[in-house]
Amino acid sequence: MTTRREFLKVSAAGGLVFGFHLPAANAQNVAPEINAWVVVRPDDTVIIRYARSEMGQGSMTSAAQLVAEELDCDWSKVRVEYADTNAHVRRKRVWGDMAAVGSRTIRQSQDYLRKAGAGAREMLLIAAAQGWNAPVAECTASDGVITHGPSGRKTSFGKVAGEAAKLAPPKEVTLKDPKDWKIAGKPIKRVDIPDIVAGRIRYGIDAQLPGMVYAAIAQCPVFGGRLKSVDAAKIEGRRGVIKVLPMEDYVAVVADNWWRAKEALKELPIEWSFGAGESASSESILQFLRSGLDDASNVVVARRNGELEQGLAGAAKVLEAEYFTPYLAHATLEPMGCTAVVKDGRVDVWTSTQNAEASHATAAATAGVPLENVYVHRVQLGGGFGRRGGSQDFVRQGVQIAKAMGSTPVKLLWTREEDTQHDFYRPLSVVRIKAGLDASGNPVAWYSRVSAPSIISTLLKLPLKEGVDPQAVASFADQPYAIPNVLIEYAQRNPHVPVGFWRTVGHSQNPFMRESFVDELAKAAGKDPYEYRRGLLPAATKEHGVLEATAKAARWAEPLPAGVHRGIAVTEAYGSYVAAVAELAVSDKNVVDIKRLVLGIDSGHVVNPDNVVAQMQGSAVFMLSAMFWGEITIKDGRVEQSNFHDYRMMRLREMPKVEVVLAPSGGFWGGIGEPGQAAIAPAICNALFAATGKRVRSLPLKNHGFEIA
Amino acid sequence: MAARIQLPGRARRGEVIRVGILIQHPMETGYRLEVDGRKVPKNVIRSFACRYNGVEVFRAEMSPGIAANPFLQFHTVALDSGELEFSWVDDAGQPGSAREAIEVI
Amino acid sequence: MRRRSFLVVLLGLAFGARADPLLDPITKGAPVRQGRVKLDMPLLADNGNSVSMSVSVESPMTEADHVRAIHLISERNPEARMASFHLGPRAGAAEITSRVRLAGSQRVVALAEMSDGSFWMGSANVVVTLSACVDELGS
Repeated sequence: MTTRREFLKVSAAGGLVFGFHLPAANAQNVAPEINAWVVVRPDDTVIIRYARSEMGQGSMTSAAQLVAEELDCDWSKVRVEYADTNAHVRRKRVWGDMAAVGSRTIRQSQDYLRKAGAGAREMLLIAAAQGWNAPVAECTASDGVITHGPSGRKTSFGKVAGEAAKLAPPKEVTLKDPKDWKIAGKPIKRVDIPDIVAGRIRYGIDAQLPGMVYAAIAQCPVFGGRLKSVDAAKIEGRRGVIKVLPMEDYVAVVADNWWRAKEALKELPIEWSFGAGESASSESILQFLRSGLDDASNVVVARRNGELEQGLAGAAKVLEAEYFTPYLAHATLEPMGCTAVVKDGRVDVWTSTQNAEASHATAAATAGVPLENVYVHRVQLGGGFGRRGGSQDFVRQGVQIAKAMGSTPVKLLWTREEDTQHDFYRPLSVVRIKAGLDASGNPVAWYSRVSAPSIISTLLKLPLKEGVDPQAVASFADQPYAIPNVLIEYAQRNPHVPVGFWRTVGHSQNPFMRESFVDELAKAAGKDPYEYRRGLLPAATKEHGVLEATAKAARWAEPLPAGVHRGIAVTEAYGSYVAAVAELAVSDKNVVDIKRLVLGIDSGHVVNPDNVVAQMQGSAVFMLSAMFWGEITIKDGRVEQSNFHDYRMMRLREMPKVEVVLAPSGGFWGGIGEPGQAAIAPAICNALFAATGKRVRSLPLKNHGFEIA
Repeated sequence: MAARIQLPGRARRGEVIRVGILIQHPMETGYRLEVDGRKVPKNVIRSFACRYNGVEVFRAEMSPGIAANPFLQFHTVALDSGELEFSWVDDAGQPGSAREAIEVI
Repeated sequence: MRRRSFLVVLLGLAFGARADPLLDPITKGAPVRQGRVKLDMPLLADNGNSVSMSVSVESPMTEADHVRAIHLISERNPEARMASFHLGPRAGAAEITSRVRLAGSQRVVALAEMSDGSFWMGSANVVVTLSACVDELGS
């Protein structure tokens, strides 16, 4: 049902070959473009353009649903096509933001996508009306058919598209009320399912070009180190080895196939200048971060309400705890890579990226060519999770290597070990939390100091407003509970380990800490954890609503079978509100049998309910893997983990039942890709406490002897 | 501070020539942190001037908004043979200068 | 009102007659006209650390009629005034090239101060693609 405007050619040997992008033969020129988002072919096929990236999160389909809804076309005739980055640059960024990050694709683009659909529909109606010499107000569109009410005359989109394309876009359009949606809001099957099932999907790693050579790279094992020397002579004679390329911060070996490149690289003597990072270890890093909890200077205030000291002084009971979450790797199934060719001042790139525009800009800057000379060929990603958005290191490397290889196409591919050990990790974080309860057990004071690296400062090198990195203090600085005296502090401490955006970012760790500590307060107050939270959340808040809906779906009030215990948590993340209830049993050998996970989400609107459910379930897989086993440890400045044997992922048989409660309250647009993870860890850990009396204050669970059933 | 100058060695009287200079300087924004959490102090080249045979022909006031290793390219009218002198000072009070001769025919 | 919204208001007017805290320290409230100033910056920059900038102002650059100064103003950087370049008739041409730092995607304004006291402006929009991860929703 889907085609994509990549030029797939079947070679004589039976493999699939990418053709070069030829602007002249571009399908974008052969059928009438009603506007930049909507092309209608004479045969009524509707091509809807998708600007962002598809990495399994399903936005490609949801975005198209929004356009198609307002367009009033026949969904069965819709094809989705990536917007071309070269055309994007030449047309002054006509497709806007191309980044699939921050769970923003739908919520950031829904307005202009819907307007594009509505605008295109208006133009088609006007074209039909003009053809009939009838007032456009008497014409309506439905399923790609235009009808003139009074006369009953009909025509189709395809027949009037040519004329519609010549019209000026309408200045104003009216959008439908979501309650009238027929395409959006429905559990429509994702447009890429047939291609996925038939193995036709092309990922960055699948790029094949005539005459292509392969590159493997080694970066300095210690972060921040520099290349000193290589002894290329040692491997130059090896079969298939074409070139050894020493670069400032990596060495590349280019060969006629990737295995030979990788094996040759293993035998290549490389001398690194490791730098100061060599002395770092997980222990020294933890010590450094913990010092941030006590430092009097180099600490900033992220939030202040009332008077913390007074609140604590007047409290009947004061509780304090320290929480820790480790570095985590993205571990995308497809490792980093980039295929590129630099020829006659033109650069062509095939790479799995979460931001094709960023890859385009990086390729242009690296090759030193104007933006108009770069072509980023769109592909699907074998997992992104934030690795491929804010860092385009693999594109910089791919283009550098291609440039060094003349006009020969080069496929750069990282090994799994390189990928695991040269990630931009989810930052580790140490947080001290202190709260005071009044005689009734209600919190009257809350203090948190976060000591953690800053992604925004170190990766993006952007200044922080008043020194606060909002990601590092997420869910603390914006905590929703009615507590009169609040002080949230942030100590930015950057060890030498590079950090980046890992799915759900600050909300992947801080809600675990916050909601676990709220549970500690509830316990101290002798109250039910659900009722305790319900009492503290103002009734009008979205948190209150989703908490209730989730607890109700989980039948919180009903007793559980013997040996089964529950935990609950609620938080906001990326504009949506999520809650989780975990039901589990723990054996005397600390084997955790998760009976059920109930995840609730209020995202305001839901464009594709089936996809939201899938994203919530996928979030469960991702977060359960991370919380049970995920940790990146450092020794002698290097990452100790390398592959899936020591960076464990969940197995199919370990997956618990996940029930999803969709509770969209309307009126706003919240994200879907990341919020799902946020409430899971605290819900599980709170259930573990109920089951064992053991309070987990650091992850992963394996370090506490817990295993999954 | 090291600097590299781009200047035509020779020009015709009255010709508008392009002058370029690249100064080695980190232009610290004041937002970077040392490993222990201390801020690397803000230190940028604030004032820069070019004198042609003693007469100021170009002056720039800069901020952290100018990229590290500041690069400036401007124009001046070639009047007489002599020397172009470039001078600057940063927030830490460190001065820098460079000079290059020009022949005007 | 945020800095950015001031610029948006300003750019919508041919003759700025409103108070603008961003440009007023330079213009002292004098009207600013659009035109004569061409600010050339790339549409996309992969990161904001070093973005090329070229500004040129149409002017005969004579004693009687020249560009006194060109100011570069950022709507998003911590310091709004990025640089001020002082020229005069000795410049021969009002053309300057440099490299700037941008704290994220934004519009940059080049404000030219003429010898007759008038002010002209041009602007350029640069998208810093890597900071897309934290760009505000909708911006």
